[in-house]
Amino acid sequence: MTGTGPSPAAATLTRAEAEDFLYHEAALLDQWRLEEWLDLFTLDCSYEIPALDLPGGDPASTYSLIHDHRPMLEQRVIRLKKPTAHAEFPHSRTRRLISNVQITSRRENEVQLTANFAVYRVRGSDETCYFGRYEYTLDCTSQIRIRHRKAILDHDILDPHGKISIIL
Amino acid sequence: MSASPLVIDDRTRGLFQVHRSVFVSEEILAREKELLFDQMWLYVGHDSEIPHPGDFVTRKVGGRTVIFTRDRSGTVRVLLNTCRHRGAEVCRERRGNRKVFTCFYHGWAYGSDGGLISVPDGDSYADGFKRSEHGLHQPHCESYRGFVFITFSADPPDLRAYLADAAYLLDLVADQSGSGMEIVAGTHQYAMKANWKLLMENSCDGYHGFTVHQTYFEMMMNLGVTPGLVAAGNGRGASADLGNGHAVAESPELGMPLMNDDVLAMTVSRRAALAERFGEAHARRMLNTTRNTIIFPNFVVIDLNFGIQVRTMYPTAPDHTEITGWQLMPRDAAEALKAYRLDNALTFWGPAGLATPDDIEALDQCQRGFASVHEVPYSDISRGMRSGAPTAVDELQMRTFWRRWNELLTGERAQPEGPRYDTSYLVAGLAGAEAS
Repeated sequence: MTGTGPSPAAATLTRAEAEDFLYHEAALLDQWRLEEWLDLFTLDCSYEIPALDLPGGDPASTYSLIHDHRPMLEQRVIRLKKPTAHAEFPHSRTRRLISNVQITSRRENEVQLTANFAVYRVRGSDETCYFGRYEYTLDCTSQIRIRHRKAILDHDILDPHGKISIIL
Repeated sequence: MSASPLVIDDRTRGLFQVHRSVFVSEEILAREKELLFDQMWLYVGHDSEIPHPGDFVTRKVGGRTVIFTRDRSGTVRVLLNTCRHRGAEVCRERRGNRKVFTCFYHGWAYGSDGGLISVPDGDSYADGFKRSEHGLHQPHCESYRGFVFITFSADPPDLRAYLADAAYLLDLVADQSGSGMEIVAGTHQYAMKANWKLLMENSCDGYHGFTVHQTYFEMMMNLGVTPGLVAAGNGRGASADLGNGHAVAESPELGMPLMNDDVLAMTVSRRAALAERFGEAHARRMLNTTRNTIIFPNFVVIDLNFGIQVRTMYPTAPDHTEITGWQLMPRDAAEALKAYRLDNALTFWGPAGLATPDDIEALDQCQRGFASVHEVPYSDISRGMRSGAPTAVDELQMRTFWRRWNELLTGERAQPEGPRYDTSYLVAGLAGAEAS
């Protein structure tokens, strides 16, 4: 790392602008507009969910729940749009609440932030809620793009969820 | 309970059926607790999870919470996590390193070997109270190739005899590293709204692959990998009865998605080293077949070449099951190969992966279907029954489980079906001789 300060775009991104971006992203996910959601990511992106018992674990050396780079994130989206993605056919309805957004650092063209989330999922008679904390690294070079997105769950066991078949 | 047989095993017609009451009945669950989970050998963990003296993890095994630890002398111990005084759990952490487990209720303290070492105000006890008689309870504990089991039976068979031919399948994973296998940090813990036995079936069911996991195979093909089951000339594998209710479904290689040249080179050189050590036949069995092994009653080891999943499941109700998944890794694999294996393993087996969520969905759906148990009383598990050479996409492996289950619950003896597991790959005097 060069240690240079933030670029003008990264230096001036406000919390309200970051929140607008997160709300837009949440709306795309709740509306199952997953291809548009994928367009929010950089080509060198990652999407991670650590193991429940190892929330600080490095996914390169621990058995996490999700560790997607761009190719697998694309495959995840392609799969979820198919009727043969049985766990999500018919699609769940989801409602995402995002709060406590905090910008934690700015460096070069990047802004890092954290936020709390609750994602409610309804499918048939099943109602569940996933909750936890997001960590984002946003690339502000031109438009805001997601370079790194991590969802850290607060659950000890995925019960009654059983699975994470939606995007969290 | 229904007067109809729980299991119909008609060799003449080639018909095998299981009564669906076994998935919904509280009475059956109570009998399973008494006859299976209180009697059989149950997997606790792998000794690599507690490498150093004082290391411990706590988990539920057979409905009890246990402390899986290594004492000061290095001996692996399984201690029931209940104070001998009034019953409180003496360890409330998930993992750590402790020389002493102190109950916070009245302060009784136990060593990592389970012995009671301190009782506050101990002078108030009469001479008849002997500390040596009040250590933490330790069920029978034995291990095989690093896999540690306990049983609550008063008079159990030894573990090696209990494992029968399943021991060879554990050898096929334990032999994959010169420096031992290890469980990777990070545990998959999830639950399903379905009976536990449905997951034992599913864990060795080759027949469901293309229907349930179609999107997984499409992902592989999108990324340029042809799944082994699709490739021409690979056959459909085999399934075998391993004795005592254990069984295996063995299939052609599945294929390795997203492999780069470095990882390919590492895989090739590892294979060459293992073939050198064990011979070509053993290496081919280890590295060029996939093996879904079920060990009665509730332990699963699945080797799909890109990873090795270890799994247990326990019922909390007829229609609710708690599942734990671990990933077993060759300790001597290079970091890049470990990272590659981990990504593939969680993409397949993780509860957030591209395959396992659809299994859970299928089993939840089966359980819903059992609401019609009075109108549709039986499930069918007849596939490949009179073939003589049952394949991995037949259902012999499930029938093996059910025959043992039925024998224990009803006393009805069953004859085994199909040829014994082919152990011709074994190098005389080597594999299987390293039992610990």
